[in-house]
Amino acid sequence: MKKNIIIKKIIFFAILIVIWQAVDLANIWPDNIFPSPYEVGEDLMYGISDGSLFYGIGTSMWRLAVGLVIAISGGMILGIFMARTETINQTIGSLVLGLQSIPSIAWVPLAILWFGLTDAGIIFVTSIGAIFAVTINTYSGVKNIDPNYLAAARNMGAKGNQLIINVLIPAAFPHMISGFKQGWAFAWRGVIGAELLFSFLGLGFLLNVGRQLNDVSEVIAVMLIIMGMGMLIDGFVFKKIEDRIMSRWGLR
Amino acid sequence: MSKLEAKNIVKYFNHDGHKLKALDGINLNVSDGEFVCLVGPSGCGKSTFLRIVAGLEIPDNGEILFDGKPIENTDPDRIMVFQEGALFPWLKVSDNVEFGLKMAGIPKNERTEISRRYLDMMQLTKFADSYTYQLSTGMKQRVAIARALVMDPGVLLMDEPFAALDTQTRNLLLVEMQLIWKVTKKTILFVTHNVAEATVLGTKVAIFKNRPSSIKKEITIDCSRPRHVEDQNLFKYHQQILNELKPEVNRDNHIEEKYHH
Repeated sequence: MKKNIIIKKIIFFAILIVIWQAVDLANIWPDNIFPSPYEVGEDLMYGISDGSLFYGIGTSMWRLAVGLVIAISGGMILGIFMARTETINQTIGSLVLGLQSIPSIAWVPLAILWFGLTDAGIIFVTSIGAIFAVTINTYSGVKNIDPNYLAAARNMGAKGNQLIINVLIPAAFPHMISGFKQGWAFAWRGVIGAELLFSFLGLGFLLNVGRQLNDVSEVIAVMLIIMGMGMLIDGFVFKKIEDRIMSRWGLR
Repeated sequence: MSKLEAKNIVKYFNHDGHKLKALDGINLNVSDGEFVCLVGPSGCGKSTFLRIVAGLEIPDNGEILFDGKPIENTDPDRIMVFQEGALFPWLKVSDNVEFGLKMAGIPKNERTEISRRYLDMMQLTKFADSYTYQLSTGMKQRVAIARALVMDPGVLLMDEPFAALDTQTRNLLLVEMQLIWKVTKKTILFVTHNVAEATVLGTKVAIFKNRPSSIKKEITIDCSRPRHVEDQNLFKYHQQILNELKPEVNRDNHIEEKYHH
């Protein structure tokens, strides 16, 4: 069954590359506008052999990781406060909804003014793009906890931080994990976008370099890497955690 | 002195902005070691009364004395077993059972020792490392009972714990529950709408009126144990309780008729 799906996927992507090659061979557009898959592959190999690609991936990943850790911890704390205190929800909650509608890339000018062209600036953009998705999902997760869980926990003597750590967070986790997934997706877009504009190392920076050199195949190669990393993290990190949580919580 | 003494408990509910009287002066005395079953038509407020005893709800009037002191909040000395168990799916069975002990700050090795005893009593030892999604409904209720018993509560509050079980599992647990009561000598308050269940378990059955509710009658069940659902000796009690309940249930139907026509 699983094998079947993998074979389907491989065939699909193989066909896609064949079509791409065919379009290239038809010579509709010049090569510097529409490179062949071979040329893109060559650029990928070149990037791998001189290490620039790994360096770019590494830089983007650690910025992503730091940004995401900030977003997840901050978002959880904010979301829990909003769910526990109605006044905070009515005030800060509405601000969160407003801020959520700002695309992370729109934070870049502010980040540059505040932090200069530094890692801190890029991390700021990454985390602020993700934090509100985590906040909102944590909030609704806590709000939707089966009241019997809380009643039972209170009854058995759980209160304050004990209650939050031992019951509130685990009970809200299935909801929170979708917040983490959304948050990661926003953070990934944020980090690449910020790198593009900051022009300061990372995969986004490599994209910019490709553009400046008029090197379409490098641009496409880096885009493929961005897509690949995204699929990898989605499928191997978040999907795995989510599946595990859902089955353990008896939701699947 | 009574273990538990409810004095004129009144409770209102908000229903679409209207105040709805659920409990209209509940008076009940429970002695130490008694097994009291609360029966009544569904929606009569017997579960609400149990939640008030647990401290999960505050009455609008009246008070309940527990060991002579008024109940103001929840306390691990009054542990509730919920209808659906309310077990924590993120914890293993053993960790579920140890939860209350952990909250009380008891060290891990002591917790394990205590929980092992109750897991054994509830025949759950094999399942100690399972997660709740791997258990049947009956098993889950066993875990819920074990989780309550580890706290060694002064009173055990059970809110229709067997309502979702199939007949065989329920009958088995009815026998076990009597054993547990005998071994642990707990005071138990047990809410059910199942008259047979009440007569099998209870030393005393308190019959609730329909809403706004008060206790209509208390019947002492004087019968040797272990009792079974089919015991001939219990039939007269069944009849007696059903007769008391009949006008309450009919009143319920009458109200429905008024709504539908």
